[in-house]
Amino acid sequence: MADHEKIDERKGEALLACMRSVGSVSDDARVTYLEQLQGGWSRHSYITEIKDGDRDLSCVVRARPQGSTLDTDLGQEFRVFELLVPESLPTPAVHGFVADEDTPFDGPFFVMDRLPGKAINVWRGRDRAELQADWDGGRGIAKDHVDYLAAIHQIDASRAAAAATPRSFLETVDHWQGVYEENRIVRDPVIDESYRWVRANQPDPVEPALVHGDYRIGNSLIEDGRISAILDWELSHVGDPRFDIGYMSLNYHGGKFTTPGSELLNAVADHQWFAERYSELTGRPLDPDVVRTFSAVGALMLVAIMTTGLRIYAEHRTTDVRLAWARFVLPGIRQDLAGIMNW
Amino acid sequence: MFNALRTDQLLIGIGSVLRAAADRGAALEDYERSQLLSAYSVARLLAAENVAAPAMLAWIKGELEPVLGDQEAQMAEAASSIAVGEQLSLLFEQMPVDDPRRPQIYRILREMADREVAALAAIPE
Repeated sequence: MADHEKIDERKGEALLACMRSVGSVSDDARVTYLEQLQGGWSRHSYITEIKDGDRDLSCVVRARPQGSTLDTDLGQEFRVFELLVPESLPTPAVHGFVADEDTPFDGPFFVMDRLPGKAINVWRGRDRAELQADWDGGRGIAKDHVDYLAAIHQIDASRAAAAATPRSFLETVDHWQGVYEENRIVRDPVIDESYRWVRANQPDPVEPALVHGDYRIGNSLIEDGRISAILDWELSHVGDPRFDIGYMSLNYHGGKFTTPGSELLNAVADHQWFAERYSELTGRPLDPDVVRTFSAVGALMLVAIMTTGLRIYAEHRTTDVRLAWARFVLPGIRQDLAGIMNW
Repeated sequence: MFNALRTDQLLIGIGSVLRAAADRGAALEDYERSQLLSAYSVARLLAAENVAAPAMLAWIKGELEPVLGDQEAQMAEAASSIAVGEQLSLLFEQMPVDDPRRPQIYRILREMADREVAALAAIPE
């Protein structure tokens, strides 16, 4: 879509105004390309190319549309990206945030650099095969995946708390249970009992850290056998770092849907190898039982988000059929939960 | 089994995506292609679910019947998997944590989950 006439002018002007407000582009800048990407259930993402004098910029607009599956603050996500700029992590620079609900992007938005790389979908066999080849070979992706997680968890928590909300174990469980119960359309005894189980298996607390909240290979970009970007920080918070490990350990994140996925953790690395390398890098040993509890919490978070999507769809607040499709993800997550709880 | 959104709601959703694609009359953007592919996937999974649903409902009611005793009559009257889920949730709320029926029901629910995932994988030709 290189044709300039096809660009939504209101969106183009809005994103340029945002970038101008922080001095990222001049008054002469113009948008030469703008297209909405697939993916993103709670956020809409657009890729855009901008000509500014001699400079060619490639950026991403991240918008929180009305009818989002996550009632999370886009401003917080923006602040977390700002927090991460000085860190040795592959995260994009940001170029301004617009908090207004009434924008051409159907809600608040911010602009960030577009980093190189391709997204991996672990539910696609060929993508899992690529990750398996990495594991069997140089392990560039596998090492980056654990090394970057360890680095995130070692960011100064007090500095992180200025950008992301602190949340204890019970606050996390309460939050997702509240979201689930507010939005559920039917009763699900497996989910109800899972909440009882995680509360009965509350782990001893550890020093809080910045938690990505949705750390999985699908939220990274890959280029030349390495991770080139870590994205999608909308669920980040300051809390128990073991959440990220438990969450990514779900069979679902190994590519399981109606058939089994990879045996590797998140389709990337052997579970024990990952745990040992993470413990070595952070100095924090991982108790498998605690990881299991956080796997259940992570599964319940997914259920709550998908349940919200089903509610939004059922009430005709969106036409995004992917929210209805999520209904068919829930049986597999229910199966994961039954296994985690040793039923 | 305990899934929100009825068949009619899903069919309307699939139809809406098809209609939107037809109305566009131009090359589809990435997002619109993903909508069509998701609608296609919903159709196939819904077909698989509908093929398996009657047998799944009969199976779980049959499994629960000898475990539930005095709850048996209510469960036998449950006309849908949603009703079964509702009754089990209410039952768990009232049941003591150490009630010996809990692990028995958990075992049934785990097998139900296994069966449901397997059923979704068996998409009819």
